[in-house]
Amino acid sequence: MIVKFIARRLLASVIVVLGVTAVTLTLMDRTRGAYVPGLDLNPALRPEDIARLRADLGLDQPFYQWYVTWLWNVLHGDFGRSMIDGSPVLTHILERLPNTLELTLTAVVLGILISIPLGVIGALRRGSKTDHALTVFSVAGFAVPQFWLGLMLILVFSVTFEHYGWPWLPSGGVTSPFGGGDIGDRLLHLIMPATVLSFFYLSLWSRFTRSSMLEVLSQDYIRTARAKGMSERRVVYLHGLRNALIPLVTLIGLELPGLVSGGLIVEVVFSWPGLGRLAFERALQYDYTTVMGVVFFVTLLVVAGNLLADVLYAVLDPRIRYS
Amino acid sequence: MIRDEEAEDKGFEQFERFLEDWSRRDFLRRMGGAAAWTAFSGGVLEFLDACAGGNTTTSVTAKKGGHIVEGAFSDVRTFNSMLSSDTASNQVIGLMFDGLLNSKKNGDLVGALAQDLPKTSADGLTYTFKLRPNLKWSDGQALTADDVVFTYQLAYDPKYADVASPRRGDLSKYIASATAPDPQTVVITTTQVFAPFLVSHGQYGILPKHVLGSLSAKDINTADFNKAPTVSNGAFKFVSWQSGQQVTLARNDNYWAGPALLDQYIYKVLPDSTTVANQLKTGEIDIGPVDPSQYDSVKASGNTNIVDFPVAIFDFYAYNLDPTKLGGKLFAQKEVRQALVYALDRNSWVNAIYFGHASVATSVEPPTSWAFKAKPQVVYTFDKAKANSLLDAAGWAKGSDGIRANKDGLKLQFEMHTNAGNKQRESLLQVMQQSWKDIGVDATPKLIQFPQLVTEIVSTRTFDMFLVGFSWGQDPDEAPLFHSRNTAPGGFNGADFKNADVDAALDGALTTLDKNKRKQLYYQFQDIMSDQVPAPILMFNKGIWATSKRVMGADFGTYNQFGNRPWIQNVWVTDGK
Amino acid sequence: MIDPGGITQLDLPGPAIEGEARRPAQSYWNESWERLRANRIGVFCGALILILALIAIAAPVFSQFVTHFDPARQHLSDNFRSPGHPYLLGTDELGRDTLTRLIYGGRVTLGVAFLTVALSLTLGTTVGLVAGYYGGWPDDILMRVVDVFLAIPAIFLFILMSILFRPNAITLAAIIASVGWGGVARLVRGEVLSVKQRDFILATRSIGARDLRLIFRHLLPNVLPVLIVAASLGVGQIILIEAALDFLGLGIQPPTASWGNMLTNAESYFFHSGWLVVFPGVTIFVTVLASNLFGNAVRDAFDPRLKAH
Repeated sequence: MIVKFIARRLLASVIVVLGVTAVTLTLMDRTRGAYVPGLDLNPALRPEDIARLRADLGLDQPFYQWYVTWLWNVLHGDFGRSMIDGSPVLTHILERLPNTLELTLTAVVLGILISIPLGVIGALRRGSKTDHALTVFSVAGFAVPQFWLGLMLILVFSVTFEHYGWPWLPSGGVTSPFGGGDIGDRLLHLIMPATVLSFFYLSLWSRFTRSSMLEVLSQDYIRTARAKGMSERRVVYLHGLRNALIPLVTLIGLELPGLVSGGLIVEVVFSWPGLGRLAFERALQYDYTTVMGVVFFVTLLVVAGNLLADVLYAVLDPRIRYS
Repeated sequence: MIRDEEAEDKGFEQFERFLEDWSRRDFLRRMGGAAAWTAFSGGVLEFLDACAGGNTTTSVTAKKGGHIVEGAFSDVRTFNSMLSSDTASNQVIGLMFDGLLNSKKNGDLVGALAQDLPKTSADGLTYTFKLRPNLKWSDGQALTADDVVFTYQLAYDPKYADVASPRRGDLSKYIASATAPDPQTVVITTTQVFAPFLVSHGQYGILPKHVLGSLSAKDINTADFNKAPTVSNGAFKFVSWQSGQQVTLARNDNYWAGPALLDQYIYKVLPDSTTVANQLKTGEIDIGPVDPSQYDSVKASGNTNIVDFPVAIFDFYAYNLDPTKLGGKLFAQKEVRQALVYALDRNSWVNAIYFGHASVATSVEPPTSWAFKAKPQVVYTFDKAKANSLLDAAGWAKGSDGIRANKDGLKLQFEMHTNAGNKQRESLLQVMQQSWKDIGVDATPKLIQFPQLVTEIVSTRTFDMFLVGFSWGQDPDEAPLFHSRNTAPGGFNGADFKNADVDAALDGALTTLDKNKRKQLYYQFQDIMSDQVPAPILMFNKGIWATSKRVMGADFGTYNQFGNRPWIQNVWVTDGK
Repeated sequence: MIDPGGITQLDLPGPAIEGEARRPAQSYWNESWERLRANRIGVFCGALILILALIAIAAPVFSQFVTHFDPARQHLSDNFRSPGHPYLLGTDELGRDTLTRLIYGGRVTLGVAFLTVALSLTLGTTVGLVAGYYGGWPDDILMRVVDVFLAIPAIFLFILMSILFRPNAITLAAIIASVGWGGVARLVRGEVLSVKQRDFILATRSIGARDLRLIFRHLLPNVLPVLIVAASLGVGQIILIEAALDFLGLGIQPPTASWGNMLTNAESYFFHSGWLVVFPGVTIFVTVLASNLFGNAVRDAFDPRLKAH
C-alpha cells in the first residue's frame, strides 16, 4: 500500500521536474529575442563571431533540441558551463548552496523554536490578553515588507550604531572580507538576515500552530482524554501538540522551495551570496545554463520535500493512505 | 551582417560601460573621487586632505602592510584579459596584469611593461615597443616579448580563431603581424593607419605564455587560469575568488614598479549603491563608488574622504531615423529634433536628478577630451518659445487635443525606451515627458529589461526613441555611434543616422596620426552633430569615489577609475591593518 | 514574500480533515455574517479597506479638490519639500506631490491586489472544480500542471513573465496570479472531493442532473466559504508581493506610482528625506495589517470547521 503510494508520488515528481524545467526554458527562450547571452554588446564583434558564439552556446538550435541535450547532460551529472562567465554551473551552485542553507535553515529553526510555543500559548489562553498580543504581533509581522524591514535594521543596527560608536552589526555578507570566516564572525553576519527571514516564518507558523492546536483541542479524543481524568499537561502535550504538529510538518515541507528561492529578498538586501541571488541575477542576463541548473536543483529539492512530507504524513496519519 | 573593412574601432571602455548596466539597479556609472593627492618624494608621501578643505599640508611616512576592501556592483567573470569585456573583470585584471602601456589621469599614455611609448614608423603602420629590463612574472619567470606576442596572437592569429576573444574582430582586422625580434622588443605591424590603435589596443593585460602557451585554442576558453590565475605581472597576484562575494589579491613582490605597500586587496561584490553607501559609512569597505543621491549622506557620516571629477560617461537619447519606421516619419526634419532639445531645461536637472554631480552637455565630445569644442555651431539652452516656433515652422500644428500633428494627420506621439532599474534614466524620461508635453509632444516612457534594450538598439531597432548611458574612451573617435556603416545590424548606430560629411570627418580623423589635423576634423564633426542632433547627449556625469579616512594614496581621475590605476601600488593604510 | 507557497500557505484555512460532512444552508450564511459582524476588529479593518478602496477609486476627485496636484506633475524646483503647505505630505525627488501619488498609487496597488485575487480565484476554482468533479485523467493532467506551477521557484516566473508582459497593473496582476492559482486549485479540488462523497450529490446525479448544473448549484456553494476566506487573506499578501517585485525592479514601472515603487524609490533618500519612506511604508503596513485582520475575522466567521469555537 505504502509502496504503491510512494511509487505514484515518485512518478508525479518526475513529471513535475520535467514540467518545471520545460516551462522555465520556454519562457526564457520566448523572452530572449535576438539577444545572445554574454558577448553581444561589442561592436567589434563580427557577424561570424556572433554566429560562432551562438553555436557554442547551442542557441542556433531550436530550444526544444537544446532542452533535450541539456537534459541528457544533466542526467549524466553535467550541468554545463555558465553562458556568462564560463564557470561550471555545478561549481556555482555548490559554492552558493551552503550560504543559502546557512541562512534559511537558521531562519526556519528560529521560526520553529519560537512559533510553536507562541502558537500553543495563544491556543491555550485563547481570548486572553496574551493571545491578543500574540495575534497582533504575528499579524503585524506579516504586514511588513521584508526588504523594508531589512533596510531599516541595517540603518539602525549598522549605520546608526556605528556612527555613535556603539557595538554594531555588519550590514551584509556572510563573513568579513578580511580575516573573517570563524564561527563568531559568521554568526555576527547571520543575525540580521536570519531575523528578518524568520520573522516571516514566525508569523506564519505561530498562527498556524495556534489554529491547529485549537482544532485538535476541540476533538472528541481530547475530550475523552480529559474525561478519563488525564492531567491537563499530558492532554495538551501528549495528545494535543503531537496531533497539532502533523499539519505543520506539511507546511514546513511546503516551505522547502522557499529555502532556496524564498530568501532572495533577504539575500539582496544583505548582500548575501546565495543561490536565490545567483539565479535572479543570471535570469536577468539570460544565462540559460545557470538558471536551468538552479531551477533543476531547486525543483529537485521541492519535489523531494513534498515527497518526504507526503510520506511522513501518510505514516503519521493513516487516514491519508486510504483516501 | 557585412561589416565594412574601413577603419573602425573603439577602445573597449565605452562598451564595457554599456555592459556594466547589467547590474540590476546599476548605479554604477557615477564614480569618482580621490581621497588624497599624492606625490612621491624620497620615501615620504605628501598628501593633501581633499575634504578637510584647508591648505594644511601634512607629511606622513607611508606605512607598509595592511589591506583594503573595495566595494563594487558587479562580480568578476574572468581574469583573462583577452576574454573579458566587462568593467568588473577588467578592473580586477588591471590590478593583476599590466599591459604594454598605461594611462594617466588625463588619458595620456605612458609606458608600463614597455619602457615608453613605441617608436612609430614613418608610414604609421609599425610600432616598435621596448620592454623594461628584467621583467618578471610573480612566479619568478622572466616576462619577455614572447609573452606579449602570445597575448596578441590569441586575438589576431588565425590559429587561435577558436579563442572566444571579444577583441578578435578588431585585432584580426588591424594587426598584420606581432613579432619578437629579441626578448625585449615587440614589433606590431598594422594593416592600415589607425589613430587610436595604441589607446585602444596597447593596454591589454599581458598573459603568461609559460602557463597558457601549451593549451589549444579551445582549451584556453575554459582554462583554469581564467578563474584562478597562477601568475601575474601587476601590483597584485591572485589568492581566491568566491563568486558573488569577493576576490582576494595579495602583493606581487616581483612587480616592475616595486612592490605595493598593501599586503592584500579585496574586491567585494555588493548588490546596489545603497549597500555601498552604507558599508562606506560603517567602514566595512574602504573604497567605493558613490551614487550622486548618496553623496551627501556618505559625506556627512564623516568616515570617508569623497571627491568627484568630470568623466566621459554620459546619458543620451537617440531618435530612430529609419524612414521606414515611425520615428523616421516623426523625426526626419532636423527642426523637430532641434525643437525637442530646446524644450529641455537641462540646467534644472543637474540638481534635481544628479544631485549637483553632472554637467549639461554642449557637444558630443566630452569636456575631458582634447578634441572637445566648447561652443559648436548650435548650442542648446532651454528655450520653449524657440521650440514651439521651430515645430510650428516645420508644419507640426497643435490639434484640439493639444498634441501636434503634421499635415498628413500624423501625431507627434511616440514611446521612449530605457532600461528598467536605473533610477536616473527613469527620472530623465519622466522629466522629458513633461517638458515635451508642454510643447504639444506626447512621449510615453517605457522601461524594458536591459537585454531587450540592447537588442532593440543593435538589431531589431523597434524603438521610436531610446535613452541610455554610454562612455567614451580616451580617444575622441565616435564612429561606433555615428558613422553610417554602423547602421548595419550589430552596429551601435541604432538611430540609423547617415551623414556623408560626418562619415568623411570621422574616417579622416581615424586615418591620420596628426593630432592637429584630427582636432580640426573633430571640430567639424561636432559642428555638424550640433546642427543635426540625431542623438543628443544630455549630460556628462561625474565620477564620485569615497575612500575611508585610513586609506592614503588613492588618486582617482577621469581615466584612472577602473582598469587603469597606476597609483595603486602607492596606496597604504594609516593603521597598517 | 516571494515563494511559490506564498499565497497557498495563507490560503490553507486551517488543517483539513477529510470527509467531514457539512451542508451550507441559509442559516449557515446568516450565522457567518452575524459572527463577522460581531467581530469589532474585523469590521473596523474591513471598513478601513473599503474606505481606502473608495479613496483610490475617487482619486481624481481628491487630486482636484483636496491636494490640487496632478500625480505626474513635476516641480523640479520644489523637490524634496517636507510635509506642509501646499504639499501636505511633501514632495519626491522630482517635486511631485506625495499625497496625490499615494492616492493614485492606491489605485494601482489595491487594483493589482483585487484583480490578482479575482484572477487566481477564477482560474483556480475552475481548474479545481473540473479536476475534482470529473476525476480520472482530467484530474491527473490538471493537477500535474498545478504541481508544476507550484514547484517553479516563483521568482523565475516573475522575472520571465515581467519581461514577457511589461508590467502594468493588469499584467502584473496576471503575473502574480500565475503563481497563486495553483494553490487555490488544490484547495478547491480537495473541497470538491470531500463534498462529492456526500449522499445528496450522488442522489442528484442518479436522477440525471447535468454536470454544469451540479457544479454550479451544488459544488460551488459548498466551496464558497473556502474561497471567501482565501480571497480575504490573499489581498494583504499580494500587496507585499507587489512591493517586493517593485523592490526587485520587476513591478510597476515609473511614472506610474504604486505604494511599492514609491517605497523602493524613497529608500536611497532616507537620510535627507525620511518622510518619503515613512508615508508609503506606513500605508502598506496599515493596509496589509487591516486586510490580514479582516481575513482572519472572515475565516473565523465563515470557516465551518471553526464553528465550534
